[in-house]
Amino acid sequence: MSHEPHIYFDEVNERQGMFHRRTVLLGGFAGLGLAALGFRLSQLQLVETGRYQTLSKSNQFNFRLVPPPRGRILDREGVEIASNRPEFRILLQRDVVEDVDAAIDNVAALIPISDAKRRQITRDIAQTPRSSPVAIATDLTWDEFSRINVRMPELPGITAEMGEARFYPFPGAFSHVIGYVSRVSAKDIEATGEDPPPLLLHPGFRIGKQGVEKSLDLQLRGKPGGHKVEVDSVGRVIREDPAGDIQATPGDTIKLTLDADIQNRAMDVMGMESGAAVMIDCRNGDILCLASNPSFDANAFVKGVPGDVYADMVKYERKPLFNKALTANYAPGSTYKTMVTLAALEHGYDPKTVHVCNRSWSMGNHTWHCDQVHGACDMRSAIKKSCDVYFFATAMAIGPDRIAEVARRFGLGETFDIGIPGQKPGIVPDTEWKRTHVPHDPKWHPGDTPSIGIGQGFVSVNALQLATMCARIANGGTALQPRLIHSVGDEVRPSGADAPRLGISPEHIDFLRSAMNGVVNEPGGTAFGSGACKLDLGPVVMAGKSGTAQAHTYAVGSHGIHGSHGQWVQRDHAWFIAYAPSDAPRYAVAVLVEHGGFGAETSAPKAREIMKIALLKDPEVRARIEQPLDRPPQPQQPAANQIAPEVDPNPVPSPTPDANVETTT
Amino acid sequence: MTSSAITRPGERERLSSKLKQIDWTFTVLLCIIAALGTAMLYSVAPLAWHPWAAKHLMRFCLCLALMLALTLLNLRIWLTLAYPIYGAGFFLLLAVMAVGHTSLGAKRWLQFGPIQIQPSEIMKIGLVLALARFYHGVSAKDARWSWKLLFPAGMIALPMLLIAKQPDLGTALLIGFTGAAMMFLAGLDWRALAAGVVGVVVAVPVFVKFIMKGYQRDRVLTFLSPEDDPSGSGYHILQSKIALGSGGLLGKGYGLGTQSQLNFLPEKHTDFIFATFAEQFGFVGCTVLLLLYGAIIFMALRTAMRSHSHFGRLAAGGVTATFAFYILVNASMVMGMAPVVGVPMPLLSYGGTEVLTVMIGFALVQAVRVHRYAEVTSGKGMLV
Repeated sequence: MSHEPHIYFDEVNERQGMFHRRTVLLGGFAGLGLAALGFRLSQLQLVETGRYQTLSKSNQFNFRLVPPPRGRILDREGVEIASNRPEFRILLQRDVVEDVDAAIDNVAALIPISDAKRRQITRDIAQTPRSSPVAIATDLTWDEFSRINVRMPELPGITAEMGEARFYPFPGAFSHVIGYVSRVSAKDIEATGEDPPPLLLHPGFRIGKQGVEKSLDLQLRGKPGGHKVEVDSVGRVIREDPAGDIQATPGDTIKLTLDADIQNRAMDVMGMESGAAVMIDCRNGDILCLASNPSFDANAFVKGVPGDVYADMVKYERKPLFNKALTANYAPGSTYKTMVTLAALEHGYDPKTVHVCNRSWSMGNHTWHCDQVHGACDMRSAIKKSCDVYFFATAMAIGPDRIAEVARRFGLGETFDIGIPGQKPGIVPDTEWKRTHVPHDPKWHPGDTPSIGIGQGFVSVNALQLATMCARIANGGTALQPRLIHSVGDEVRPSGADAPRLGISPEHIDFLRSAMNGVVNEPGGTAFGSGACKLDLGPVVMAGKSGTAQAHTYAVGSHGIHGSHGQWVQRDHAWFIAYAPSDAPRYAVAVLVEHGGFGAETSAPKAREIMKIALLKDPEVRARIEQPLDRPPQPQQPAANQIAPEVDPNPVPSPTPDANVETTT
Repeated sequence: MTSSAITRPGERERLSSKLKQIDWTFTVLLCIIAALGTAMLYSVAPLAWHPWAAKHLMRFCLCLALMLALTLLNLRIWLTLAYPIYGAGFFLLLAVMAVGHTSLGAKRWLQFGPIQIQPSEIMKIGLVLALARFYHGVSAKDARWSWKLLFPAGMIALPMLLIAKQPDLGTALLIGFTGAAMMFLAGLDWRALAAGVVGVVVAVPVFVKFIMKGYQRDRVLTFLSPEDDPSGSGYHILQSKIALGSGGLLGKGYGLGTQSQLNFLPEKHTDFIFATFAEQFGFVGCTVLLLLYGAIIFMALRTAMRSHSHFGRLAAGGVTATFAFYILVNASMVMGMAPVVGVPMPLLSYGGTEVLTVMIGFALVQAVRVHRYAEVTSGKGMLV
């Protein structure tokens, strides 16, 4: 070194020593720091790792709700009357999409979205919570669906999904019974309380709105499943994990007692008429037919019916939205004479008693009219000819309370537990009823009674009640209960078969049944002359009773409007009740044609056609029909005749030509 | 014996002697950490070289070559360049104030054609060199407590203020800590140290309340209670803790880190890469990584203690303190023990500038080792 040292050695050593001590300290600090990090790591990764693993999994995995397939609804033979079909739809994930309008525009560029649909989407978005997706297009064709699917990567927050939609194979026939499903309304969600089940918020979910779909909605729904997906931080699905899926549990299959063939036939024969037809199996109470006409296409309600179309349905005078089998309560007319008859017989009235019908009957200073001159009638022929005068007198003889008591035993004035809502009980009037229900005139006047005798006045019933009444008469007087729901899932609802007796003497029932047989099958019977009730089924015949109910209070003496004349709304309601076979009843039917005129003319042929299907579908009845007639012995080859009648070298008339014709139609 | 070779002035200047003196174990440790970083960046791409892993590896290799080259540079030259580098850094910091490139509301870069220069990075090395050079010529007594200490205090405070003004709080703190660590190593009096610590403790709340920008204050407040705002500012810390914690003892396995790969972890490739690592390799992996860092710190400090020149000691010590500070702050932040400040994990995080700075720093450490017996002039003059 050329120059004087600037710093002396001892100082150099002191600096070095200080540096060494301080460096050791610094290293110590760093080591402590690293140790602290290690400690913290052990806390996070060893002690609390369970908690963080759970958080990580809930970050990573999501369960997308999978709506369960809605339970099917079957008829008694297993024919589907409500099922599900695949549906393609486009959903919008609200929690991913910021600019909803832009997202809808992007979709609208590929598939048409109407302005009305857009308004609905906006409403839906406002009503549903952010976390649940909103359907922006439903019921797409495969073509439209694939157009969206291909462009999926460019459409963030849009998902294409294949779901199921409700489908009713018989569009109108069952609408009133099984109802329909429809979009979940805000009211439906409110009804579930604070915490609506997520299934209700799913855009594909439909809730039952009427009939069976409504009353058994919970059973039909099933349990939603979960589709396990792995998502990234913005909710995009990265991977699907089929192994982690929770399977959806399909809703219960519901089997009804209805028969699709009978129901469809009933709808056919009703044609343009407004009315209802109810058929009950006399042995077990199963309702085979519960038709109301005109009807509506339940499928349209699944998609949503436009407001104006709905308004038209509400306004239409033949009321397609009402289930007339349960709600249309009218005076039973002459069908009520069956009840008057039984009440009279039960109270010792002699059926041999004769009244003479001169077309009018007077009591005090009031006169009641019959529709024609029947002359002298005993009870049986009065039923057969439906003579009103006879029943004015009979009703007066026994009084309203006895009639009402019997009528109630047969199910009139009652609502039955058939599993769907909407029955109207109607009125079976007696003195007690008038006292409690007619405040301005609580006293029963003798003049109130004659009308009751012919099923007019205060009396009102619905088609289900009359069918039940008819079935109870037909089965010899047991209190059989109508049943509509055969089974829900595996649980079979109790049959109405083992019912107690009504306490009516079998002799009296037999008398009534004989008279009802006369109505149809004897000359002079109201339903005989026209052939309206001729089944053409060999030995199997029908028995019945017609009824014509005043729809409008027409002026005294203006008989012109009576029956099927005049304006539709002024015409009488036509009833017909029937059962068959007459000698061993199996099926009972009640047909109502609103403003149909005379029951025997309008309703009886419809009852016949409905009955025919039921009888021909019944193998035992069919065996009876196909029995060879009592003829001189011939070489019997009924089987060969049936299979190949045209190649028979020695043709013999088919024993039951009508039956064969019917079954092939 | 090699150490005897470099004690002889003639032989120690030979390239072969110098190459033998390079701490190859140390170099291999750096390579291992950089390789782990590359593997992490590959895994979160996910499982692709693009966009991070390949670049990271390439940059590291270039920086490694640069480090080895700079290692051969005689300490005298480092000493000579100390003040000029510091001065250039300071000038560029001023330039950044004037014409700097604004990004995310902060002026940090200068753009020279295709090259971005971040003067605060130059200052990190410059400050270490300048302080080492200053203390090289100061007696032990003066280093403990004298008016001369105003020079280092100023040398630290001025760039710190300029950087804080950018604003880049993380780097400003780092500069402050580096300076404080070097004054400590040089032998600052305990009482002065204690006073400094007390001063900082008092100043911080005042600083947070009145001087910090909105987002900076948010970060600090979020750090204090991250669960208050799990989807906002607290989201980063919470997701990072989930990534760490869910790793468990052995981790989820390489390439199977759901937090990082599904983007729940923010900044998974830069500031939060330690969480990415922890998720995949668990407690065992993290312990190994921290031991690696610990070994580097230990070896660098040992190098500092073996240097025969005071400049060498302080330069190596200063670089090591900075490096250790990086690691502790980054890991604490990732574990939710410190506020979110933009401090990367050295050699693991993606980012060219940081790798370059760290590798130049280690070049200085290696140069101190290779030239530990070299005579370094007292340095009275400005340049020599």
